[in-house]
Amino acid sequence: MGDASTMDLMRDAGFSPDTRGSNLELLLRVRGRTVLNRAAQAVRDAPLRLTAAALLIGLIWVGLYGLFRLLFVHLSRTPLEATVAIPLVFNFFFIAMLALLTFSNAIIAYGALFGKSESPYLLTLPVAPLDLVTIKYLECLVLSSWSLILLGVPMMFAMAATSEEELFYLFFLAFFLAFIPIPGAIGLFLAWAVARFFPRRATKAVTLLAAVGLTAVIVTGLRSLQLGETATEVWLRSFLTRMGFVQSALLPNNWVAAGIDHALHGHFPQSFRYLGVTLANAFFLSWLAVRIVSGRFDRAYDRASSSRGGGRRLAAEASGGPAGWVFFYLPLPLRLIAAKDLRTFFRDPAQWSQLTILFGLLILYLTNMPTLRLEFSASGWFLLIPFLNLCAVSLILATFTCRFVFPLISLEGQKLWLMGVLPMPRGRVLLAKFAFSMTVTVLVAVGAMSLAAFMLNLDVVWTAIHLVVTMAICFGLCGFSVGIGARLPMFGQSNVARIASGLGGTMNLLASVALVALVLTGVGMATWQSLYLEADTLPSVRSLMLCAASGLVSVAGGCAALWIGSKQFNRVEV
Amino acid sequence: MTDSVAEPAIVLAGVRKSYGRTLAVRELSLEVQRGELFAFLGPNGAGKTTTIKMIVGLLRPDEGDVHVCGHAIGANGVAAKARLAYVPDQPFIYDKLTGREFLYFVAEMFAISAKQRDRKLETLIRRLDIGEFLDHLTESYSHGMKQKVVLAAALLHDPAVLVIDEPMVGLDPRTVRSVKNLFTEHTRGGGTIFMSTHTLEIAETLADRIGIIHRGELIAVGTLAQLKTQARREHSLEDVFLQLTEVGDG
Repeated sequence: MGDASTMDLMRDAGFSPDTRGSNLELLLRVRGRTVLNRAAQAVRDAPLRLTAAALLIGLIWVGLYGLFRLLFVHLSRTPLEATVAIPLVFNFFFIAMLALLTFSNAIIAYGALFGKSESPYLLTLPVAPLDLVTIKYLECLVLSSWSLILLGVPMMFAMAATSEEELFYLFFLAFFLAFIPIPGAIGLFLAWAVARFFPRRATKAVTLLAAVGLTAVIVTGLRSLQLGETATEVWLRSFLTRMGFVQSALLPNNWVAAGIDHALHGHFPQSFRYLGVTLANAFFLSWLAVRIVSGRFDRAYDRASSSRGGGRRLAAEASGGPAGWVFFYLPLPLRLIAAKDLRTFFRDPAQWSQLTILFGLLILYLTNMPTLRLEFSASGWFLLIPFLNLCAVSLILATFTCRFVFPLISLEGQKLWLMGVLPMPRGRVLLAKFAFSMTVTVLVAVGAMSLAAFMLNLDVVWTAIHLVVTMAICFGLCGFSVGIGARLPMFGQSNVARIASGLGGTMNLLASVALVALVLTGVGMATWQSLYLEADTLPSVRSLMLCAASGLVSVAGGCAALWIGSKQFNRVEV
Repeated sequence: MTDSVAEPAIVLAGVRKSYGRTLAVRELSLEVQRGELFAFLGPNGAGKTTTIKMIVGLLRPDEGDVHVCGHAIGANGVAAKARLAYVPDQPFIYDKLTGREFLYFVAEMFAISAKQRDRKLETLIRRLDIGEFLDHLTESYSHGMKQKVVLAAALLHDPAVLVIDEPMVGLDPRTVRSVKNLFTEHTRGGGTIFMSTHTLEIAETLADRIGIIHRGELIAVGTLAQLKTQARREHSLEDVFLQLTEVGDG
């Protein structure tokens, strides 16, 4: 009787449950095995996708290399300025990375530690919290730092091309690797603190924190850019004084920037000293964060899992009303599907918060524009600035539609049977998705562009042109995302980020960027023609025709993508 | 340290758990003995899963203590978990591992030698009929296939306490029969099973004792005969269950 058989088995196996060692090595091996299996599967099942991804990364690297090379060559032409500017460029780059990586690590760590997938499983196994937190921390570092590597590698080669020191590569790489754990550790600690102290609105808390931080950075940046003095030299001096905090000796960006600068000039002992400081801090912060989080992990996990936010009901009530009437112009079945998508959008903080942050920052920039004191009427700025605003809005729209509209069809995958049995042609589901995304994007984008036109006191005709083009771009981008989303779906996947970064998502991103580039080229040509060829504030018939053609291209592209997508969607077997 | 055979397998002492203002489990005290198959029943939202999550250490009770084989799940979690296996209703499985790789991982986690693992696995593969797909990536498995592999993983280290939420969902009738036999053999060998289910027939045929939880309160516990007496019903467990939970509603 008793659990004699269990104990016998354990003894036979030389296992004593009370004298277990670390499972970290086993967990690392499992990670390695899953990566190998994933890679083998990608090579076997989707070689085209793999090649496309490699080509895309190669293209991005070549583009970034060209950009950084131009910058460094330009700076090296004026050695005196370069001495001041290069460390400053690095300081800004690494402080921006410090903020971005801290934020992305916090989000990834929260999901990894307190999400519903692997953590609960590992918590039921005899895994010590220290091992669990360590493996998740390492995972977060890898997942969140790829962007730094993506940006860093071309930057390294561009810099190395201006340096004759071969050891520079080694130092540069070492600084990058030493820097990554610093924001990683802060992010891990933030994720734990949010779960421990603000568990009810965890996602909102992280988002709010990020929004406040970003707003503060933008406001500070805009204030620093204000031309209090007209003389450039005085302005530059004042700007550098205001930004002096970035070069504080206590900030890690300064250690990395100074170390890289020393390595660039062959001062390796000094560079090594900075590398030592960075490494020591990285190790200490990592050790501290992992120890604190693992020591108090079970309580934080319990708080994160036990809290049922009362805010959810409020959010449900608040979003229930508008979702019902905002699509009044649609026939009933389509209205119901679009309203369902709008409710989902409002109830998912990851979706509405990113749209709010993107357009919030844009609005902040637009409302601060007059303080830049540019003489709009004296030069071509009066049309150029609104055109650049149109470019910014279009690119933000492309980002949003690729990230959130494209996955809409794939997300229906597990509920496709429901769509299949609805009493209407299945292709109309796409129309509902299109109507939903079009409504949200037009409301936000047209609002932002109207504000821009108002702040710049833009001429009525040009305002109307920009608003119509914005709507056409919304049409094209939403059509692309819905159409390509239906043509190349990932029905088995429920993770929005993975759907957006898959083959279909990548194709959609490329197509969307190409569409935006095409339309903006047309509008840009019309703007240039008005400004420099006709020297008139009002557009000529030719300029109008160019803008109309650009808008029509966008609408036609959207229609074509919807048609292709709907043909495929009708064929899908439920 | 060895476990005392006299110690109950699971002890819940005055356990209470709330989610915000919602009280999910109130003053729950229960002992499950070694070698016992305990069926835990209750309507949806009664507190079954919350109780199970506290037993396996996923949630901490607001008040009270939980012990597994004499080890407090909070204070000495790893020692308690080394004696546990948990199969949730929606089990987790690494989708980029094959079933075999997943089972090897679990075996290594519980420090089972390769010889022991292979011997045990051979039996489980045959009994649960998982050999055909065990070397495929688990992402291609149906719910039933996943459930079988997770059950094999849970039984692989012959746990002292097996906690299982809805064990038969998605399984074909032949596998259901195999699982029933495996459970019976496990308890005969001294293992304990704590099983939550809505399938009353399984509880009726397999369980040594049955507990019924309603609105976070353990309203009845005992053998089937004792529950029938308590409910003053002579018919099936279904009648008893409906009678007792109806009384709870009143």
